[in-house]
This record gives sequence, structure tokens and C-alpha cells, in this order.
Amino acid sequence: MDATIEVAGLRKRFGSTQALDGLTFTVSPGQVTGFVGPNGAGKSTTMRAIVGLDAVDEGTALVGGQPYQSLRHPLSQVGALLDAAALQPSRTGRNHLLWLAHSQGLGARRVDDVIEQAGLATAAGRKAGGYSLGMRQRLGIAAALLGDPPVLMLDEPFNGLDPEGIVWMRGLLRSLAAQGRAVLVSSHLMSELQDSATHLVVIGRGRLVADTSVADLVAAASGDRVALRTSARTEAMGVLAHAGATVAATGPDTVTVSGLDSSSIVVLLGESAVPFSEVSAHRATLEEAYMELTRDTVEFRGSAQPEQSR
Amino acid sequence: MTITGYRSPLPVGDDGFPSQVRAEWTKFRTVRGWVVGLLTAAVVTVLVSLLGATGSGRSCRHGCTGPVGPGGEAVVDAFSFVHQPLTGDGSITVRVTSLKGGTDTGLEPWAKAGLIVKASTAQGSAYAAVMLTGGHGVRMQWDYIHDKAGSTSPPASPRWLRLTRSGATLTGSESADGAHWTAIGTSRLAGLPSTVQVGMFVTSPDHVETAVHFGGSSSIGGPSSATAGFDQVGVQGQGGPWTGGLVGGGGGPAARPGSSSFHQAGGTFTISGSGDIAPAVGGLGTNTVDRSLVGAFAGLMVMIVLGAMFITAEYRRGLIRTTLTASPRRGRVLAAKALVLGGIAFVAALAASALAFWLVGGLRRSKGDYSLPVSTLTEMRVVVGTAGILAVTAVLALAVGSILRRSAGAVTAVVVLTVLPYILAVASVLPAAPAQWLLRVTPAAAFAIQQSIPEYPQVSTLYTPANGYFPLAPWLGFGVLCAWTAAALALAVVLLRRRDA
Amino acid sequence: MNEAIHAEWTKLRTVAGTWWLLFAVIVLTTGLGAAAAAAVTCSYAGCQQDPVKISLTGTTLGQAIIAILAVSVIGGEYATGMIRTTLVAVPRRSTALAAKAVTLAAVVLAASLPSVLGSVLLGRLLLPGSGFTAAHGFSAPSLTDPSTLRAAVGSVLYLALIALLALGIATVVRDPAVATGVVLGLLYLSPVLVHLVSDPHWQRHLQQISPMNAGLAIQNTTNLRGLPISPWSGLGVLAAWAALALAAGGLALRVRDA
Repeated sequence: MDATIEVAGLRKRFGSTQALDGLTFTVSPGQVTGFVGPNGAGKSTTMRAIVGLDAVDEGTALVGGQPYQSLRHPLSQVGALLDAAALQPSRTGRNHLLWLAHSQGLGARRVDDVIEQAGLATAAGRKAGGYSLGMRQRLGIAAALLGDPPVLMLDEPFNGLDPEGIVWMRGLLRSLAAQGRAVLVSSHLMSELQDSATHLVVIGRGRLVADTSVADLVAAASGDRVALRTSARTEAMGVLAHAGATVAATGPDTVTVSGLDSSSIVVLLGESAVPFSEVSAHRATLEEAYMELTRDTVEFRGSAQPEQSR
Repeated sequence: MTITGYRSPLPVGDDGFPSQVRAEWTKFRTVRGWVVGLLTAAVVTVLVSLLGATGSGRSCRHGCTGPVGPGGEAVVDAFSFVHQPLTGDGSITVRVTSLKGGTDTGLEPWAKAGLIVKASTAQGSAYAAVMLTGGHGVRMQWDYIHDKAGSTSPPASPRWLRLTRSGATLTGSESADGAHWTAIGTSRLAGLPSTVQVGMFVTSPDHVETAVHFGGSSSIGGPSSATAGFDQVGVQGQGGPWTGGLVGGGGGPAARPGSSSFHQAGGTFTISGSGDIAPAVGGLGTNTVDRSLVGAFAGLMVMIVLGAMFITAEYRRGLIRTTLTASPRRGRVLAAKALVLGGIAFVAALAASALAFWLVGGLRRSKGDYSLPVSTLTEMRVVVGTAGILAVTAVLALAVGSILRRSAGAVTAVVVLTVLPYILAVASVLPAAPAQWLLRVTPAAAFAIQQSIPEYPQVSTLYTPANGYFPLAPWLGFGVLCAWTAAALALAVVLLRRRDA
Repeated sequence: MNEAIHAEWTKLRTVAGTWWLLFAVIVLTTGLGAAAAAAVTCSYAGCQQDPVKISLTGTTLGQAIIAILAVSVIGGEYATGMIRTTLVAVPRRSTALAAKAVTLAAVVLAASLPSVLGSVLLGRLLLPGSGFTAAHGFSAPSLTDPSTLRAAVGSVLYLALIALLALGIATVVRDPAVATGVVLGLLYLSPVLVHLVSDPHWQRHLQQISPMNAGLAIQNTTNLRGLPISPWSGLGVLAAWAALALAAGGLALRVRDA
């Protein structure tokens, strides 16, 4: 079975709200795919549709090429963390995992393995109702890993984790992807995905906004601008403008240049004997890149308004 | 320089109990499911009551109305009467020489022979009487529901009786020898006309035999008769000639046609009679006003669910923590909840039971079904009391829900405490004694407030829960439910204070 | 399916409430039966009582506890949201419900058996003291008597069917409190109505269709001809109710989003 999630043309309406509006994307193996969008964009609905909790009005969602509900041992194909609070509080964490294991024909040994993997060993014997939010997330991760699935789908896994937990989670996601698994991670905070996701699916209002690699996205947001730090700002700006570049002062001793690459700038300034202390390619953060996209989404929302009222 | 801390320009809110109640009311009315639940309780109460009335077709063989006593209650008024008119004050004296039962059934304990002063010979008119009974000695009775014991003279020995009218006051006396008189009692009959009928009467109620079998008990029996001898008749006052006849002859369900006769030989009268002068009592198969509210049981179930959820829903979603943060005085929180829930439930249940009562009354009249009339006050007690049961039980469910913090458990506990004892008491293998015990100690005792026909010691019938007779007085039974609720609320407050939210 | 049942069994046994409820079923069923057997009186020969049915009075109470258990099997999952975890693990919804039904029925059967046997045994010990003696024409209830055996086996099945009825209703209704109210209303309202409705035809029809009245016909060992419905047909009526409720539950589970 392939380690993929394929979503094609999903549509779902809740009353007067169009939650999913023709959403299509594919999650490939061997990388962490960030699934991002503002609150209410349809991320959780998409994930619930993938595992068959919500029936869609139109479209298909396939896991490893098959509909989820036809899978014989679904947790061995997809590990999902959807709602960390979706457990009965009076049962211990270990017993929660045990019944899940039994539903997949797995034994208690596998339960102890994932408890270890999720760092729950000390808490597993306590009632899950008394867990902190972070411990519930870890229990949810353990449940997702139970069937050792090639596909993982985690809805807001960073929620409630302490800084140490966030670092652990990033490392876990990277290592899972490195093993060749397809990992889909939803989040509404880009910064959480900064060091783990290599691909992004961005949605807004139930529609696909971007399906791109993180590298491309950041590069697109960065443009070809170069940041220059110099004590002789006026001279530098004159020399570079004369050479045909667009120059903007961004501080008392900083200038942003576009239209010239950094090596040409170094040569030009050297020739004109203008002192400078730093020349670097400007690099946008993932957050900035995302904000740019979301701005588009806002515009797209504005233009979509008359269409919706149809 | 001193820094003044921020002060909110908002007026200081009132943190007293009324605003607590207002907060709970807002909580209740803003959840659509609860409002729907409340309406459901009202609707099922009415619908099931109508269903019950539709399924209670019992046409009346003796006409659809029975005699009604001065108090508005249904009465039995059938007896042999040898009488003459008496205008103004006066008295009548007689010696009852013997009281014997009919040949087939023997002498009934409540067979009666004696003197009566009656407003008219119409059934249901006001009266006062002194009498010798088959098994209960000498009695004075008036206006059907009142009974006062005199001596325990056996029916075999002769007894002198006297009844004296003075305005609206009637005094009954008895004597062993006609010389030394003992007063039995005094009654005031309001609205007694100046000319009344006075005379001797004999009557004997239905013979009742109780058989206990599986699924309850039944009474079988039939009419009985009694014959009494009278002599030494003396009337003081403005009287007239003696007339013999039957009151309610052939009309009352207890009368046996042709079983009444009287012979006069010199100063001696021999009178036979059948029937009774007593309040009518219900029993299985009789429509009573309480049976017009069978839907209250369905409404009760909904109210129990509603009451339990009013608190358990807070626990499930952790809302209780918000509530207790907003109002840290936990006892008050529960009190406010109980007040709001009880108030809303009472209003809804009162509207439902009044509507059901009115609709079922109309349905019965249109079908020609006879139901035992009761006084308006009793009708109001049944309707208001039914609403009270629903409201207080909802609060009981709230308290149990707060104790158990589990909705399914709370609902089951309250249903098992209120409805199951009723079922076990009225419709199961249990004999009367344990059934009555159940209806004394469990919250099901409250259904006593629906009992429209009281238990009369002077009428023998099967006073069992299965026949609609509760061991406790109406308000006392309701008090048992209130006591359970108060105890549960007290425990709930203690636990709410002690436990972590 | 076997794995789904295994999972459901693990779920049931790892919550302490299950064991308390099953213990309560046994204690309350035998306790009420014993109380009834001690409280009844049979003072004369041919007193028309049914000693076996008296001994089994406790089923009227035990069924309420079983209803809690059955409702919480699905209602508890809806209340906590765990139903989503369950349906992710077992995506075939009819399988998920069937696994719950099988597991619940097995557990309830296991608790009903000692409840019913204990009730019959206590009745055998207590009833002679209440006048059910050979002199009054009664022999002690014994499972070697075919009608007593039918009443006992039928009562065990009755309690299991009540559990399935409650499970089906709870699957449709989802909220545990409302589901409990509906189940107990369905069970307990009919005996009240039968008692308070005076038309004999209505009484008879109510007794024939109501799950509790019809189902408990299986407990009768005397005067069978006077019953509104024969013992096994009565249990069949309850089985039909349970099947209907489960079918409705299965349909609701299938068409609704979790």
C-alpha cells in the first residue's frame, strides 16, 4: 500500500456554511506536509472526512489508494490524532491504548512500545481524565503510532505542549518522515512548522490556496532582495542607483537593494570605495511567507463574497 | 507621585442571591434543548392523559350522574325511610329493638338502622342521623362524610336513640333505658330548611369480599339487606302523618329493588332496607379526577431527565468550573439552580396538568363517561399537586445529579425511587401491607396528593394502593417527596463544597 | 469483527463502573426478589399466586441498572467524544455497533444468570415461610420443573434483550440522560398506563405491545391461559422491540457524521 493521502474535489456543506469547496491535494511519503489555514478554514473537517467520520457531499478521499472505511486494519495504515480529549476520562491511558490495540488485532506489547515512544511511561497507569493537555497530546500521538502506520495525520499536535514537548514533537515528525512515512500535520501557527515541515498545503474557506514546498514558498516571499549595512548610506545608495538598482533605506545604516545580486553589489561598492560591513540575501521567515498568502486569502475572500451570495 | 490602580467605570454589579438566580435562568433559557425538553414534558403530560382517557371507556349503567352531597363530593344515598315532615325545632325519639341481616349475606358491619333528619327526600340532600350499626356500635353521622362513634352497643340489644333539632344544630343522643341519655355528638347543617323530613331509616351496604390473586386483588360482592324493629316512636314538634318509601330507590348502584318494606303494627315498625348513606368511593374501573392525569407519569420522566441534565451537563463540559469561578459560594449556586428549575418546572407542569384536566373532562363528558365528582378544592389540589410532584421531582433529580455527577445514573436513581415503587405498590405481586409501606417511605408517597376520594372509615371497601388509596394523607405524602428532595439537596451541597470541581 | 469485539470487551472491563453496575444488578435483582418472596402471603389453598414470578420480581429493578450500563456503552462515548476514536479504529459502523451489541449482551447474560438463579434459590428458601407450602398446593420452585426453567431462562434472556433495546435507543438518541429517560419511560410507563386505563381492551393491547409487560409474560408459570400474551410470544415482542431499536441505531450511526 502506498504511503499517500489523496484528496480530490471534496465538498461539504454544514447548513449555510460551505466548509469544503472543491478541495484537492496529495500528501506524499517521506516528508512532513504542513496543513495550514486560518481558524475555520476546513482543516479539521478535511481530516475527519479522510477517516470517514464526516461524510462529504462530493469528492473522494483516499488513503493509500483506498477509501478509509474499506481498510481492514485502518490504524495500521493511518495513524490519526484528531481530538486529544476524545477518550473516556475514567479509563487509564494504558487501557485506552489497549482497547485500540485490540481493535486492530495488536497485543499489549505494542501498547508498551508506543507508551515508551510517546514518553508516557510514568503516566500510563493513571486515569486519562486527570491528564494535562500536553499529556493527552502524547497519548493521542501514542494512539496514532499504535499500528506503525505509513501515513500519519495529526490535527494541531503542538497544542498544549511545553517548549521541551514542542522540540520533541518536531524531532519526532522529522524522524517519522525520514522513515518514509507520509506525515500530514495541521496547524494554524506557522512558527510551529518552521523546522519540521518541508511541504505546505494552505487552505482558506475550504479551498486550496497553495500546495508548495517550503523552500519555494520562502524563496518566493524573499524575492531577490539584498540587505546592506553601511556607515555611508547616502554614498552607497547613489552608487547602486546609478548602477540601475532599486534602493530603499530601511534604517540609519541599512539599505535594501533589489535588481542586483550580492556579488555585483560587493564589486560596485569596492570600486567606488564605499565602506560596508554586511551584505546578505534577504530571507523571509515562513511566518512572513504565510502572512503573504493569507493576505491573498483575505483578498480572495473579498472577491468571493458576491459569488457566495449566489 | 502615587499611582492609582485602574478602576472600572462600570457600576458595581449586585452579587446577591437574586442575580445568581437570574444567571441560572439565563443559562436555562439560552439552551434550546432544555426549553424543548420543558415543552416536551408539558406535551406528553397532556397527550398521554388524553390517551388514557380515550382508553378508559366505561359507560355508566345507572345514568351518567350520581348524587352529589352538600360538599360537592359523590355520595351514595339509598335507604328505606319512614318519615314525616317537621317544621321548626323539635326532636324524635325511638327504641331500636333489633337489627338483623338478610338471610343470604348476614348482617353487614355497616348496616344501619336509626333516626334521620334530612333536608328533603332528594338524594344528596343534607342530613344528620343517629343509628345502631351491625358491627360498629352506635354512631352519629351527618352530611355523608362525617362520622362520630357513640357506645359500642351490639345490634342484638335494644337501644334508645334521639335526634334533636335546634335551628341548624342537631344533637344525637342514646340511652339504654330511655331515661338516662348520653349525647353522642352535635352537628351544624348550614342551609337546612325550616321544614325537614324526620323519621326512621334502615339501609345495608354492598357485601364486599376481597380476593388476592396474582397481579393485585379484586373485590367481589353484591347488595345486602337488613331489617330492624322500632318502637316507642315519639316526635316532639309540628309534625304530620308517617309516610314510607325509598330514598334513591332502584337508582343507587347499591339498592336492591323490592328489598325495602315496612310494617306498622300499633306502635311497632319493622323496616327493611338496602343501600347506604355514605360518600361514594372509587375503586378499579371508576373514573376519578386523579385518573384524568395519567400523563403526569410521562411528564415526570421528562422532568427527571431535565433536572438531572441541568447539573450533569455542567460537569461534562467543565462548565461547572466557570460557574463556580463566577460564584464561589457553592451552596448558593445549587440553591439558585434548584429555585430556577423548580420554578420553571412548576409553571410548565401546572399549565400542562390544568390543560390535561380540562381536556380530559371534556373528552369524558363527550363520551358520556361518568367520573366521581369531587369538590372544586379537591380538583385544585389534584391539579396543583400534580404540578408540584413534577417540579419537586425535577429538583430531586438535580440534587441526585449533583451527587452522582453522572446523568444516566441520576435519571435511573430517581426513576427507580419514584416510579418503580408506585408500580410495585399498585400493580405487582406485593400484598397491601408492603405496598403501603413502599408508599410511605419512598418519594412515590407523593402521588397521594392525586388521590381525589379520601378513605372513609365508615365505608368498607378495599383501601389498597391498587385501588387508588394511599396510606398517607395527600399533603403528608407530598411532604415525603419534599423531605427526600431536601435531604438530597443538603447532601449535594455538602459534597459540592467538599469535592474539587 | 472478532477484533472489534475484543476491543469492546477491553473497553468494558477497563472501566470500574461496569463491574459496580453488574454487581448492583445481581444484588438488587436478588434482593428485591427475596423481599417480595418474604412479603407476599398465601394464607389459603389455591391462593392464585405465582411463586416463580414472585421470586423474579427483582428483574423489574435489575433492568434499570442494565439500562444504565447499556446506555453508557454508547452514550458515554458520545458524551466524551470517544465515539470518534472508536470509529477511526473501526470505520465500518455496523461492525462497530454489532461488536458493542455482542459484548454487551454477553456481559449482561453473565450477570443475569446469577441474578436469576439467586432469585429462584432465595424464593425456594423464603416462599414456604410465606405460606407457599405443600398444604396450600405449592411445591418449592425448582429448575427441573419445565415452566420454572422457562421462566428462569426467559428472565435471563429478558434482561439481555433490555440491554440491546437500551443500546439501540442510546445509539439513536446519543445523549446518555435523554436515552436513559426514553428507555425507562418505555419500560415503566406501560405498567402504570395498564393499571390506570380502565378499558379492558386497551389494557390487553397495551400488555401485548409494551416491552416490559409483554416481555415479563415469560415469568408466568401459573394461569397461562389468562395471560394477554403467551410467554414466548411476549418475549418475542420484546425481541422485536430490541431488533427495531438496534436497526434504527445502526441506521442513525451510518448516516450521521460522528
